[in-house]
Amino acid sequence: MSLPISYSVRNVRARLRRTSLTIAVIALAVIATAVFLALLSSLQRTIVSTGSPDNVVVLRKGSDNDGSSMLTLEAYQAIRYLDGIARDGEGQPLVSPEMVVQPTVRTTSGIRENVLVRGIEPMAFAVHDQVRIVAGRMFRPSSGEIVLGLGTVGRYEGAELGSIMPFGRGRWRVVGIMDAAGSSFESEIWADARELANDAHRPFPYSGVRLRFAPGADRAALMARIEDDPRYALEAKLETEYYAEQAKSSRSLYFLLVILAVPVGVAAGLGAANTMFAAVQARTVEIGTLRALGFSRATILRAFLLESLGVSMIGFVLGAIGTLLLAAVLGAVMGGIGFAAATFTTNVVTLRVSAGDLMAAFVFAATIGIVGGLLPAWRAASLRPVDALRKA
Amino acid sequence: MAEPLISLRDVSRVYRRGADDVHALEHVSLTIESGLFVALMGPSGSGKSTLLNLLSGIDRPSGGDVVVAGKRLNDLSEDELAHWRSRHIGLIFQFYNLIPVLSALENVELPLLLTSFDRRERLQRARTALDVVGLGARARHVPSELSGGEQQRVAIARAIVTDPDLIIADEPTGDLDAKNADQILRMLLELSHELQKTVVMVTHDPRASEWVDLVFHLEKGILKDTFAGAAGKDHVEPRGPAAGTPA
Amino acid sequence: MKYLPLVFRNLLRNKLRSLLTGGAIGLAMLLVCFFLTMPGGIDRLLSEISSNVRVSVHNKGGVVYDMPYAYVQRVRSIPGVAAVNGEVWFGGAFEEEAMVTFPSFALDPDAVQAMWPDYKIEPIALEKFRRQRDAAIVGRETMKKYGWRIGQQVSLVSTVWPVTLTFRIVGEIPNDRAPHFWIQREYLAQAMQAQDRDLDTVGTIWVRVDDPAMVPSVMARAVEMFRNSPAEVTAETEKSFFASFFGSLQAFVQIILVVTALVALCVLCIAANTASMAVRERSREIAVLRAIGFSRGVIFGTLVAESMVLATVAGGTGALLTYGFSALIRMLAGGSMGSNELGPLTGFLVTPGIVAQGIGLSIVVGLVAGIAPAWGAARRPVAEILREVF
Repeated sequence: MSLPISYSVRNVRARLRRTSLTIAVIALAVIATAVFLALLSSLQRTIVSTGSPDNVVVLRKGSDNDGSSMLTLEAYQAIRYLDGIARDGEGQPLVSPEMVVQPTVRTTSGIRENVLVRGIEPMAFAVHDQVRIVAGRMFRPSSGEIVLGLGTVGRYEGAELGSIMPFGRGRWRVVGIMDAAGSSFESEIWADARELANDAHRPFPYSGVRLRFAPGADRAALMARIEDDPRYALEAKLETEYYAEQAKSSRSLYFLLVILAVPVGVAAGLGAANTMFAAVQARTVEIGTLRALGFSRATILRAFLLESLGVSMIGFVLGAIGTLLLAAVLGAVMGGIGFAAATFTTNVVTLRVSAGDLMAAFVFAATIGIVGGLLPAWRAASLRPVDALRKA
Repeated sequence: MAEPLISLRDVSRVYRRGADDVHALEHVSLTIESGLFVALMGPSGSGKSTLLNLLSGIDRPSGGDVVVAGKRLNDLSEDELAHWRSRHIGLIFQFYNLIPVLSALENVELPLLLTSFDRRERLQRARTALDVVGLGARARHVPSELSGGEQQRVAIARAIVTDPDLIIADEPTGDLDAKNADQILRMLLELSHELQKTVVMVTHDPRASEWVDLVFHLEKGILKDTFAGAAGKDHVEPRGPAAGTPA
Repeated sequence: MKYLPLVFRNLLRNKLRSLLTGGAIGLAMLLVCFFLTMPGGIDRLLSEISSNVRVSVHNKGGVVYDMPYAYVQRVRSIPGVAAVNGEVWFGGAFEEEAMVTFPSFALDPDAVQAMWPDYKIEPIALEKFRRQRDAAIVGRETMKKYGWRIGQQVSLVSTVWPVTLTFRIVGEIPNDRAPHFWIQREYLAQAMQAQDRDLDTVGTIWVRVDDPAMVPSVMARAVEMFRNSPAEVTAETEKSFFASFFGSLQAFVQIILVVTALVALCVLCIAANTASMAVRERSREIAVLRAIGFSRGVIFGTLVAESMVLATVAGGTGALLTYGFSALIRMLAGGSMGSNELGPLTGFLVTPGIVAQGIGLSIVVGLVAGIAPAWGAARRPVAEILREVF
């Protein structure tokens, strides 16, 4: 004979008021870990979503990022007409020379952060097709104008459409705002490359180049050509790989997540065990009766495990709702959360709870319920009918 | 005997259970002189336990007066009642008398914690009380190590340790076999006649009427009948199988 | 209080429950204290490594902008300045990785002792640093991280200069929180010359001021000196300079604190749950006590005391265990954590203050958790409890 699931369900419902605190414990554990997880995965997502698998990043050999690289004009010219690079409607190669500079700017709350300012030529928008101007317009060259990534708007002094934003040696007018599909580009400011190089006293106008593969091109061959050129010491990397490596350094943050999740999970599990033990204690006679009637040990075990799981599932639902609420509040109060990435500049991350985060929270809560309920269920199943009934 | 120890005047008690009003007691009046061993009897639901609770101040009447040892209990606040009880009443219940984590001696000592006696005094008095009920040797045992009869005797010891005027017992023999029940009843009788304590007991043990001085019979919240018990004011040998002599 | 034995006895009544509750509270409190070490990490770094007579002068545009090397001597001439040292970011990384994992700077070996006497570098080491071109002085944090010894050779490729250089470690900065890797500016300059390039810039000019009172005026003079020049400068105290690097960590720290608060709330619920279970199961017993004559106050007090004793003992133990726990984490994390952007937050240093906070929090939690169930038990009319059993 098998006990129907409704036995466990009804019992959970009957004990709801008494288990409310245990449910709260599980919900809080879920919220704490899920919010932290959401933060980390929002960061990962931002970095990893940056870049296209069809683009290549070309930098001076040995520089670990845009900011520490430099490229001569000759090198740029040499790369432009290589085979395998895509072309636009007018036959121009999709090669975007860029100058990356990392000035210090002040946030509206007075904190100093380093921002990635990318000096570009108009071709940049064709190569980085994630990026679009969504307000205002593109800047005119040599006019002291800039466009801001969405993440920077309102974060820094002067970072509003139409305002003047000071950085480097100059004062720049914001003429447009760009959306970059939630990638790192949204934490950047784009300006005219030569103007920027001038302001930063750079000997060369560009620090690196980004280009796009032509469809069906021999990718390996193109990258090898760039790297093997003896005149210039260059290295070429897939854009997605370049950003994946940057994401790596933030991976160690997951260490903290584990440090958080394990103790909280165990504590919640102990709390769940407590409740279940009390339930078994209170229903000793009932269990004895069931066993006397002929229900097997395994059935009793399963029934109580299901009950524990049921409690933790309610905890999960409340916790999930709480997580979404808290994330929304944090987002509203704190705005974007800045992370100083491996590039030394600030990545502005919007805290978003993804389905994956909730999935992980679900597994977390279920584990708490099952592991926490295991010993009490075992005890219930081990009761001998005669002992149990005698306690009446 | 001047004033009766206990005096109930037109006492009623109504309480809510779920959606209904339960009339536990209706216009009950009675008096009890001090030094008597009294039984409150009647079928279940008759209101005898409620009456007992009113006597000890655990409960308040909805109407009428409860006067015990010259004090009108209606006038006292919750905390005053608690204080008064600790001085004047000894309580014995049917179950759950003793604190399971405390030894017999410590259980008997419990009411003394409410007094100003120091530790040495308290333990001495507790020990004396335990000896009176014949369980001096079991002072260190916890309730789970004592039989039902022994637990009730410890409860009696606890009830007398503060030397109260009134001992109140709610079904003290309800959970015991005949032999132990007789032992307890004999003990209560001796307390009342030899130590001059008033003992009011709720019971539906038919044997009880052979031991007590006075019986109040209640039915459906009304005092139906009052009659003398077999003990009267004289000590009488119990009929039936002889109980053992008290130690 | 004479009721204390009763309180303890009641806690031992259901050993399993007390153990489970205690374990949960202890674990959660351990976590709370551990996370509380993080915000303090920045302050500690700042107070340990920075000095109140050192000032940093750098390009107003930001740390990545350079200043002409000539500025160094000009700053030297400001009244009140005891010493200067011009620092250039070397950005050294291991060849295989090409990722910077510790800060490396090229500076003037003759002005190291004058600038950083508080670092307590051995005179012999300083002497070698002055005399050997390829010498390097490394902070103990980095030494430990890679297991280097004095005398060891290290080869680094610069991620900003087109050179790869080999160094010999001649000494260390004896502080566990110093990650610096210092090399000779001249060594770098010579390597650049071999490529027909001049090293004529400087990234940060460190200034040591005679007297703390002179610091504001020195800073003002430095800024004034280069106003309207091609490279305008900003001057700030060392503490402020380092603090600016961690400004953006603030948001992260705030989230850590929010999470910690949630965990603390969790502890509260665990304690409250146990307290209410205890009260529920002992309601008749409590009724008997009140019938005997124990006042509501006493009943309330003993129940709250029970909750507080359990929470304080368990939570206090958890707080104390933070010492061992964070040592364990530091050991495990070792190299992998040091290179990330959290920097000082990962010091995880436990102070007595944090443990005290943990214990205090435990006491409060025990108190608050016990109040509601205890109040309920004390308030319910005794007769009502006695009535409901069977």
